[in-house]
Amino acid sequence: MEIPYTVKPRPDTGLYNGKLGIWLFLASEVMLFGALFSSYVLLRVGAESGTWSMGLMNITVGAGNTMVLIASSMFVVLAWAELKQGNLAGYKKWKWATIACAVLFLVVKWSYEWPQKFKHYDVWLNDAAVVHDSFEKGYRKTALRPTDEAPKGVSVKEHVEGFYTTRYFKEQSDGSDGSKAQFKKAWDSGTLALSGHINGYEEAVINVQVGEWNADAGVTQDEAKEAITAAGGEADQALDGGTQVLKELDYDAAKRAEYALGQAGFKVTLSVARYEKVEAHPWFWRTPRVNEDIGGKPRVQSIILALDHSDDGEGHYEEIEIETRHISRLSAYEPKHSTFFGIYYTITGLHAAHVLGGIIVMLYNMLPIGLAVWHKDRERFTNRIETFGLFWHFVDLVWIFLFPILYIL
Amino acid sequence: MSDKAEATGTQEAVEVHHDEHEEHHAHSFWRTYVFSTDHKVIGMQYGFCGLAFLFFGYCLIATMRWSMAYDGQAIPFVGPLLEALLGNNVAPGGVMSAELYNVFGAMHGTIMVFMGIVPAAFAAFGNYVVPLQIGAVDMAFPRVNMASFWAFFFGCVIMSVSFFIPGGAAQAGWTSYSPLATVIPTDGQTYWLIGMVMLITSSLLGAVNFLATIINMRAPGMTWLRLPFFVWAQFITAFLLLLAFPPLEAAGILQLMDRVLETSFFLPTGLVVGGQDVDVSGGGSPLLWQHLFWFLAHPEVYVLILPGMGIVAEIIANNTRKPIWGYKFLVGSVVVLGFLAFIVWAHHMYMTGMGTVISAFFQTTTLLISIPSVIILTCLLISLWGGSIRFNTPMLFALAFLPMFGIGGLTGLPLGFNFSDVALHDSYYVIAHFHYVVAPGTIFAIFAGVYYWFPKMTGRKMSEFWGRVHFWSSLIFMNLIFMPMFAQGMAGMSRRMSDGGATYSLANPDNADVTVGALSDTIMGLNVSISAAAWAMLVAQVPFIINLFWSVKHGEKVESDNPWQATTLEWETPTPPPHGNFIKEIKVYRDPYEYSVPGARKDFSPQAQPAK
Repeated sequence: MEIPYTVKPRPDTGLYNGKLGIWLFLASEVMLFGALFSSYVLLRVGAESGTWSMGLMNITVGAGNTMVLIASSMFVVLAWAELKQGNLAGYKKWKWATIACAVLFLVVKWSYEWPQKFKHYDVWLNDAAVVHDSFEKGYRKTALRPTDEAPKGVSVKEHVEGFYTTRYFKEQSDGSDGSKAQFKKAWDSGTLALSGHINGYEEAVINVQVGEWNADAGVTQDEAKEAITAAGGEADQALDGGTQVLKELDYDAAKRAEYALGQAGFKVTLSVARYEKVEAHPWFWRTPRVNEDIGGKPRVQSIILALDHSDDGEGHYEEIEIETRHISRLSAYEPKHSTFFGIYYTITGLHAAHVLGGIIVMLYNMLPIGLAVWHKDRERFTNRIETFGLFWHFVDLVWIFLFPILYIL
Repeated sequence: MSDKAEATGTQEAVEVHHDEHEEHHAHSFWRTYVFSTDHKVIGMQYGFCGLAFLFFGYCLIATMRWSMAYDGQAIPFVGPLLEALLGNNVAPGGVMSAELYNVFGAMHGTIMVFMGIVPAAFAAFGNYVVPLQIGAVDMAFPRVNMASFWAFFFGCVIMSVSFFIPGGAAQAGWTSYSPLATVIPTDGQTYWLIGMVMLITSSLLGAVNFLATIINMRAPGMTWLRLPFFVWAQFITAFLLLLAFPPLEAAGILQLMDRVLETSFFLPTGLVVGGQDVDVSGGGSPLLWQHLFWFLAHPEVYVLILPGMGIVAEIIANNTRKPIWGYKFLVGSVVVLGFLAFIVWAHHMYMTGMGTVISAFFQTTTLLISIPSVIILTCLLISLWGGSIRFNTPMLFALAFLPMFGIGGLTGLPLGFNFSDVALHDSYYVIAHFHYVVAPGTIFAIFAGVYYWFPKMTGRKMSEFWGRVHFWSSLIFMNLIFMPMFAQGMAGMSRRMSDGGATYSLANPDNADVTVGALSDTIMGLNVSISAAAWAMLVAQVPFIINLFWSVKHGEKVESDNPWQATTLEWETPTPPPHGNFIKEIKVYRDPYEYSVPGARKDFSPQAQPAK
């Protein structure tokens, strides 16, 4: 059995099967990305003022990556042209160039662009007075500091307005006052987020009080003894009905003890012994986790936030302390931060998956198993590279749409 | 090279290759029957899975019907089994819990649509019949075809496994509306989404393959207007799948992000669940999910019905022994229908408050799309006029398709107008409407297709007697199930109530003061009769199942390769067709349905028969 038109085009359609197939596949891809872009439009149009986190992207890096992809699109055509002339060495040269571009693109995205965002936090507070106070503490020096061009000496509010109106409230700038009015509203109501890096926090050190042992819990005495010994307690004392306290455990140890001893039939109560300052740059914190109740007190007492736009020009950022009881929500620049970051990671992630798939196919076509087709049937192999090129151009084109809507607009 | 010389040359080549493959495959069971790239084997794999899931999906609803008729009572036979399999909090004492009802309801819809009818009507018949009907040796991409089946299979495994995870399978209906689908704490919905992504991938691979095959693999002389209508129907269906499924894939990815990475694409600002603020950014749009979902799910209705119409057209032409009336109208209608299918989706969303302008637009397009549908049905109906009809089993099912689909289609009109939809929305009327389209519509067409092409697949006919038993009992019970639902719906009974509406019935003492809108005893009583009909319907399928398997070995042997004396190319192959299909060079000289051509020697002139 021989399937027709796998290599030579069918005269009346002018297409060989592979090319027809890839065009149809790309039509479905257009609908896939089209649906995501449409979702972007609908979500953005429906977004409340100040909730669309625009203007935060590094345009230079994005533009650089755009150039890398465009170059790769050119190389993929050159590789195909070399094959058309029967030059396998030339094909390999340009194909390696294409692969190098694709890898560079992903490296920039996955080792620089994304991780950088995962440690950068926005913090929303529940008290307007605290918000204003925090801004005051964080930006007073910077607002007063003269710059090379002019003596600054502006108020903190004006300083903050200066950079907020170029991002969150940018979309409101239909008239010259639109964005300012929106900013004022957010400033007055205290819904403005504080942005920066978390440099440390005060975390609870926990006392675990072990109470009565319930003999009916379905656990033998020996097992209970083992559990309490493993947790660092006095076994005999515990089983005699006396209470004891496992002192000053860190959070993980306390939680483990609570679980294990609870399973073993003990009555367990956690309480905060004291708070300890920790220097750390946490990833992906969750508000409920920060505010987790431990004997009536929060797990994290306060956080140290180094505010954006507060640097003294020498790399030192102003740090402020925020009590977690004032925090209504905090989120890194991760997908859950806002619908903008959600759609940003979804579309760029799906695009990156396409780039990764492309790299795999390109590598296959460089390996002996792929090249064997060239040695058997040159035209078939050349066609393969052509259809791959069509796919690669599409991936490039998606980025050309994606870059302006996510980085610039 | 002249046509003739080329033809002889290739014929020899084909035969040589054919022999090689026979020899090669004889040794490899796995490559021949399991990981096969042969379109016919893949078609049968799809068909077997599709029919199995149709049966399974039907069992789910048959179980649910107990809960609706006898809420709070233990289900006989099945109840203890459910309790043992799924746990006593799900089915305590063999009584179906409301959660389990929701699981079964959501999965009944999902299984019937995506794992039952699409594989059986589109993938199975499409795979088996389309390459044969266009005179191709196989699909354009046999390995992609295999990948498509295994993606489907994998998706089905994920869906099936999800019944047994803690909390059970998806519960938010087959439509999976957010925020409900997002905030349900169990993992069933996540499995559902991953399963759907696999099923969608399968459909996309299949659609690309069908389109490339039909465009590029037609035999010489098989011009576009010589394609059998079934091929046209499959062609448009493949386009619908190709272009409508990706938006649902996008929606699935977004909902998966919502569930796994806590984004809020479909969660509005200020969402409170169970009295607790949800820790999400908000700013999402529940309406967005509905748009993306229905952008697929409406064209999906045509994905379900078009292959059925194609099958019915083939069988009617064959058994009336005359050409289909208005073949070009049919083709034109199906193309127009394909286009319009993309711009009617929001008629499912009149109740969301989209605004009157948008409602008016979608109301207009919805009414427009009824025109090509009516043309197709009318053409098929007129085709019967003056024919000397052979009433065999496939023909009985095909004939029943016409009025049944007619009822389904016409009862859709009140749902297409937004003013009447307001009253009927989400009621049993809607259920009755779309089940008339897909159950006695598409599923009857699937049965018709099985009886019709079975001789080609196996070389034997299915029992005619048991076929008739199957047909008449199915027809009667089908109507006993769905006809009363129109009455229930118009009386105001909502769908998705595990107690069958008992909460809102007059019999409920809480409703003693209710003067308008409570469900009367008559309406409630219909629950019991519908359920009884549903179980009888299940029994009515037994003759079919036995007939299907029994006839593979013991059915009446067919005398020729063309037992129905049909004109289309699938009957030009040996029976069953070998790998590579045709043993002679195929060239097409005629239109698809040249039956009873005046002056011809026989009452059918096959497409491959040279014109004198």
